[in-house]
Amino acid sequence: MRLPVLTVRLGLRARITLAFAIGALLLSALLSATTWALTRENLLNQREDAASTIVYQNARIVRSRVTDDPESNQQVLSSLSTPFGSRPVLYRDEGYTSVTPAFGQDALPGALRAMVLDGQPARMRYEYRGEMQMAVGVPLPAVESAYFEIISLDDLESTLEALGVSLVGASLLTSLAGAALGWWASRRALRPLAGVSTAALSLAAGRLDTRLEANADPDLAPISESFNQMAQSLQDRIERDARFASDVSHELRSPLMTLAASIEVLENQRDDLTERARAALDLMTLDIQRFRQLVEDLLEISRFDAGVVRLELEEVHLAELVMQAVSHSSEADVPVELEAELAGVVVRADKRRIVRVIANLLDNAAKYGGGATGVGLRRVEGGVQIAVEDRGPGVPVEDRDLIFERFSRGVSAGRRGSSDGVGLGLALVAEHVNLHGGRIWVEERADGDEGARFVVQLPVEEPA
Amino acid sequence: MGTRILAVEDDERIRAAVKLALEDEGWTVVEAATGEDALAAFQQEPADVVLIDIMLPGIDGFEVCRSIRRTSDVPIVMVTARADTHDVVAGLEAGADDYLTKPFAPKELSARIRALLRRARTSEVSSPHLRFGDLEIVPEEGVVRRNGRDVHLTKTEFRVLVELAQSPGRVFSREVLLERIWEHGYFGDGRLVDVHVRRLRTKIEADPANPRHVVTVRGLGYKLQV
Repeated sequence: MRLPVLTVRLGLRARITLAFAIGALLLSALLSATTWALTRENLLNQREDAASTIVYQNARIVRSRVTDDPESNQQVLSSLSTPFGSRPVLYRDEGYTSVTPAFGQDALPGALRAMVLDGQPARMRYEYRGEMQMAVGVPLPAVESAYFEIISLDDLESTLEALGVSLVGASLLTSLAGAALGWWASRRALRPLAGVSTAALSLAAGRLDTRLEANADPDLAPISESFNQMAQSLQDRIERDARFASDVSHELRSPLMTLAASIEVLENQRDDLTERARAALDLMTLDIQRFRQLVEDLLEISRFDAGVVRLELEEVHLAELVMQAVSHSSEADVPVELEAELAGVVVRADKRRIVRVIANLLDNAAKYGGGATGVGLRRVEGGVQIAVEDRGPGVPVEDRDLIFERFSRGVSAGRRGSSDGVGLGLALVAEHVNLHGGRIWVEERADGDEGARFVVQLPVEEPA
Repeated sequence: MGTRILAVEDDERIRAAVKLALEDEGWTVVEAATGEDALAAFQQEPADVVLIDIMLPGIDGFEVCRSIRRTSDVPIVMVTARADTHDVVAGLEAGADDYLTKPFAPKELSARIRALLRRARTSEVSSPHLRFGDLEIVPEEGVVRRNGRDVHLTKTEFRVLVELAQSPGRVFSREVLLERIWEHGYFGDGRLVDVHVRRLRTKIEADPANPRHVVTVRGLGYKLQV
């Protein structure tokens, strides 16, 4: 069995913080260790030097007062001044005399004794009974003796220990400070990136004029400059595309105008035409109508893309608007169902656009849904719903969002196929509805029969 | 002599096709390719209706409209690029009576022209002399006087005032006014009414910002204050 490997991908900030912390720890540990070692050496040397001076003074006293009587020698040793609490030991006549029996011959390292007895003054640091000791030996050849002192270094040890503890503490604090500095520095360093991310989101949401503020920081200026360049070229490109669609439709209007006027002149002469010419004229009339609708829709939608569309809001009596829109549409005899409470509802809306919405939905029902069967208007919480139902095959669930895309007739062309109309009608409906802060969707018919139900929900400000 | 229409349009083929279609209605069409030509033609022989495309080389349609308005109350139809642009309001403020957006069906244009011609003639219909404070309306003469002085109104402005004055105090919605004056019905552009009322106020009100005669009833429409 393989054990799952737990991998944690650390973020940039965590990594910077960690690096700062480890760096601070290493540096402070190194400094602490050096400080500690130097301090220790210094303290010990000072103590040794000071102690040695006293040992030599004491050795001179011992030399002048030493006798053959061990008893009096011990008194001499006891009378010596030992500011560091050292313990004197005297060697004479092959024997050792000490003040405290515990610190006699055995407490002196053999090597030291040997050197001193050889006539060489010496000092040595060593451990005895678990404590740091220092011994200094001075040969006294004039009186055939040697003088030793055993000095405890234990107080220095505890001083060094306390120093060590504080140094470790200081190192830890330094590491923490390092981590905090790393956290702060990484946040400072990454802050411009947060701005970039916000700006990118804003661009993605369609606010193409989003730019980063010019940055005076020489390290950051290139980032904001290149970001702004990117945004500018994106905006230029999108605007060029939008303008292209708009320019094309504008250009198309002039020949269309000529065609529409000429075909009408021909229509006026209809009776003088042969039957074949009349059939051709009818085809032209129908397709000029389609052409005109397409150009109008393209122009309308290119204005949405250019972001120059403004609502002409006025207070509209919704029920009347819907009834008028239906009665002037291609499906004028479709029944309109009104909830009684809607009779007086007034909404702030762009009349022209709402009329287009209803007309396009009815057109759509006529072209792809076998004709509209009813238009319903009802009050829902926070708004009103306008629903158009048809008797067509309905819209498959997977196409219900796609159907509002531009030229989406291809989505389910097999079922919604028609030689008439181009798929901009529903896309425009969606744009108009969105501009009003409303929503549009398609669902099953309310009565469960086959057919589609297009629902437009518009917000209504509740009377306070 | 029949009805003369002056059509100002820089696109040669559009001009020719529109001329053919309008001639089918039995009207005489005088063409002009530029604003300068149009003004010269109008000066030479005034038309009954003027059709002006806003996009013209040289002096633009707005300017042509303003120039004609300085001397004449002839009905003017503007042709604009888009319905939802400021062009419409600017055209109406320059003095146009109605507008169409390109591409329009010539049938639509001839319907507008017929409505304008009817409007131009309705002022001849007799109806009583009306008086509201400093304002005096003589419908049969097509004359409006303020403080005894003649006020110059276009045919459409005059119709708006008479429509309101014939039922003083009654509120007319924009839809009703559009139906009765422009014959556009429910789907007409409410801005036609708004701009004409605005222009009317500058001529008949002492303080157009604080109208005493033609007042707005918020959310409903306009009425003539008694």
